[in-house]
Amino acid sequence: MEETRIVNATWDVSTFKYRIEGQGLTRMLSGMRDAKLIGIKCSKCGTVYLPGSFYCRKCHIEIDEAIEVGDHGEVMTYTVGYADVRGNPLEEPRVSPMVKFDGCDAWVMGALEGVKPEDVHVGMRVKVAWAEERTGSLQDMQYFIPE
Amino acid sequence: MNRKIAIAGYRMKAASDLVTTRERLTFELTRGLFDDLGIDRDHVGTTIFATNDFLDGRTISNVFLDPPAGVYMRDESKVEMDGLSALVYACMRILSGQYETALLVAFGLCGSQVSPYLHVEYTLNPTYDRQLGLLNELSAAGLQARSFLNKFGYSEDLLDEIAARNLRNAALNRDQARGIKDASAKDIKDSSYLYEPLRELHTYPATDGGCAVLLASETKAKELTDKPVWILGMGQSIESYYLGERNLYESRSTREASGRAYAMAGIDKPEAEVDFAEVSSLFAQQEPILTEALGLYGPGDAEKAYAGDNGIAGSLPVNPSGGPLGAHPICATGLFRLNEAIKQLRGEAGKNQVKKAEIGVVHGQDGVCAQQNTVVVLGI
Amino acid sequence: MRNVGIIGIGYTPVFVSKRKDVNIAEMISEAVEDCFANTGLGPDDIDAMVFGNMHTFEGVNMPHLWAADYIASLGKPVMRIATGGTTGMSAIHAAYYHIASGLHDVVMVVCFEKQSEGDSQVGLMGIVTPEIMAMLQAGIDISGSSGMGALAGGSAGAISFQASSYLARSGAGIEHIDGMAALERRNAAKNPYAHLKDANATAESVARTALISYPIRFGHICPTSDGATVAILASEEKAAELADGAAWIHGLANCASDASAGNILEGVITDPAEQMPCQLAAKQAFERAGIKDPKKEIDCVEIYNGFAHQTLMFLEKLGMCEVGEAHKLLDAGELEINGRCPVNASGGVVSTNAIGTSAMNRVTECALQILGQAGEHQVEKDVHKALSHGWGGLMQYVTITVLADKPRKG
Repeated sequence: MEETRIVNATWDVSTFKYRIEGQGLTRMLSGMRDAKLIGIKCSKCGTVYLPGSFYCRKCHIEIDEAIEVGDHGEVMTYTVGYADVRGNPLEEPRVSPMVKFDGCDAWVMGALEGVKPEDVHVGMRVKVAWAEERTGSLQDMQYFIPE
Repeated sequence: MNRKIAIAGYRMKAASDLVTTRERLTFELTRGLFDDLGIDRDHVGTTIFATNDFLDGRTISNVFLDPPAGVYMRDESKVEMDGLSALVYACMRILSGQYETALLVAFGLCGSQVSPYLHVEYTLNPTYDRQLGLLNELSAAGLQARSFLNKFGYSEDLLDEIAARNLRNAALNRDQARGIKDASAKDIKDSSYLYEPLRELHTYPATDGGCAVLLASETKAKELTDKPVWILGMGQSIESYYLGERNLYESRSTREASGRAYAMAGIDKPEAEVDFAEVSSLFAQQEPILTEALGLYGPGDAEKAYAGDNGIAGSLPVNPSGGPLGAHPICATGLFRLNEAIKQLRGEAGKNQVKKAEIGVVHGQDGVCAQQNTVVVLGI
Repeated sequence: MRNVGIIGIGYTPVFVSKRKDVNIAEMISEAVEDCFANTGLGPDDIDAMVFGNMHTFEGVNMPHLWAADYIASLGKPVMRIATGGTTGMSAIHAAYYHIASGLHDVVMVVCFEKQSEGDSQVGLMGIVTPEIMAMLQAGIDISGSSGMGALAGGSAGAISFQASSYLARSGAGIEHIDGMAALERRNAAKNPYAHLKDANATAESVARTALISYPIRFGHICPTSDGATVAILASEEKAAELADGAAWIHGLANCASDASAGNILEGVITDPAEQMPCQLAAKQAFERAGIKDPKKEIDCVEIYNGFAHQTLMFLEKLGMCEVGEAHKLLDAGELEINGRCPVNASGGVVSTNAIGTSAMNRVTECALQILGQAGEHQVEKDVHKALSHGWGGLMQYVTITVLADKPRKG
């Protein structure tokens, strides 16, 4: 029997003009230049989202109370990356924690520098290493370092 | 059906561009609906989404819609079809006795975020039809239109009449995205051919739109609303993918679906018992094809119908809302028909209100040239 | 409420990386025919169908339309269900409600995935494509090592946060994930429909595979498979008429929370290893099934585990053991096919993953155990009640089905 033919085709995502929520990100970016993390707090249950959300998941109401969140926090979980999405090995292992900032309920992903992979642990205290010259971009928050 | 199910309330929204995100639209529709009914997300037993990953341009596209719909630590599922199929599923869940209320959320942002034609493009057999490039939603609709006109001996003028009536109706309806005030057949004929005999104004517009609908068991419905609209019957069917296997001038699967829905509703003579219809006719020729399959007009009855019987003031109005020629938010379109029927049955349709509205039939479709169809019968 | 039972099951002849000899529609039809052959039933016996897969993986939108002619669905109601990884079990649930509602009596469920025709990692990243684009706009270097762009990539990246959190909070070690993976590879070797099989797998052999993203090793990860699964469900009256036996659905539930990883724009508020939806859905399904103590009443479990740590993690979330106890059961040999709490006798998703079927196969495998038809991977103990679990969405959606050997009373 003849083998089935393979037809190469792509799903062209450039045909999409995605619109996504910008309020939380805009708020967050607004504080970056001043080395501040701005989240949004639910007026009803007090949950603090970072980046902010326009509604509260738990209360299902609209929320819009900007609140500054600490730039120190706790490692809630972490991974050490050895390969990229295609399985190609990385030159150096990459430590990526999810951090819960003080005064915030959200877990934020990032890179952790200044610590060996074998020394990272859940519960570890870390802080943001801010860029010297900040431009109001997410990259102003360069990475986490141990507290 | 072993228990009665009613629609307690709905919210709907359509425009050529809603200038919004999926999340915000979902939140606004559901929050608004809950506020209308004086309830909260805690009152919702189960939620069924009708959205499509290909329209959203995302894998598992309902992932981020759960919380804005109030589904946080709650029950949900997704029917990846026209929203009327989601309604059938929601009814099944209530009929099982496991749930008392069910929320439906459906939308398509095909006006602002993606071309609606992509949706059908990707349903095609990927190794043959899609590569060959001859078949697409519009060329198929052109074949269907020609087949219908030819079979019953109509001229293209009929398509103009149908489109003009729908767009006139749509102009009266604030829930539509497109309408043409006092549209005439000539206005339609002035639009350009897409695939002969199909002209631009014979086809649905690219639309953003979405809706949220709350279904409830009899007891719950009576707590939630003074104007429950009851679901009397439902039916579904599918036919061959291959256009060559079908008679394009008729809709066999709609006939099968409506037969099931009428049997459940105890309707023997739909042409006499049904007061109006809201059908998902995406192209002008689909309206007479579908209403024939729904048993409302005889085959080739289109001339009689277009003498006025199917107008808002006629004896058996079809798409008094203006139908999908006014808005086709893919995935939500069948539920838009449902909501328009609810308006009629509650006497809230304003300038689109028909004279007698006690029993209405609504229709939703999926696939090329309505390959798959769902029919729901409603009453007060 | 009406009783609903599973009276027939069909699979494609194999679940493998690449089925080059058939196209999507042809491959699905193999499982449909297998199910008809196994039951002696035909298209005329089927009232309605439920169909599911993750259609962005192959690039065919609503493939039930194209496949309609191949799967004996013409003239029938067909409902397409899609909830991500859980799709297969969500489809079983939909079929259950088709019958429990009283609207239908005999319903066929058809689920598949032909992952060789697409790119599953790209498909998964497609969940958050727009958010990633926005993050790039906002200054993130997504491929670099700095900033908040340290997404480790695809499902394996996001999942490592879960595995790491689970290890830190349960007391289990990476060696337990190795051991769990080995157990399932060995079980898979006994299952003709499994994909990755290794009758001689050991924790040590798995430990020798490369670390992808701590604590996930290559040997902990599911394959991408091509395959289809079909099941026929029937009401109690019809089951008596059409079949010799059935696996009865006693309880079912599902639950969603917020997407718990991968999307910075949404501000995640959940521990990816907490899996509250699993806890809530299990509790609800047990209530509906009248089960008071799952540890005592459930005889075998099929868990959706794209990654081997999830078997241990979900055993705890499902209430099959105490928190922090699953790895001890593993060490004691109780999770083995001849153990006290046999789990994934089929080899689990970690051994076979044609995604659309993965959550469905958890149910069909439990049904085979109840019917005593699992062949070489039949568990040693008698199976009266079995628990199947599905997991998906963006790590935040869980489905549960409890099956039993007798119809539910009352």
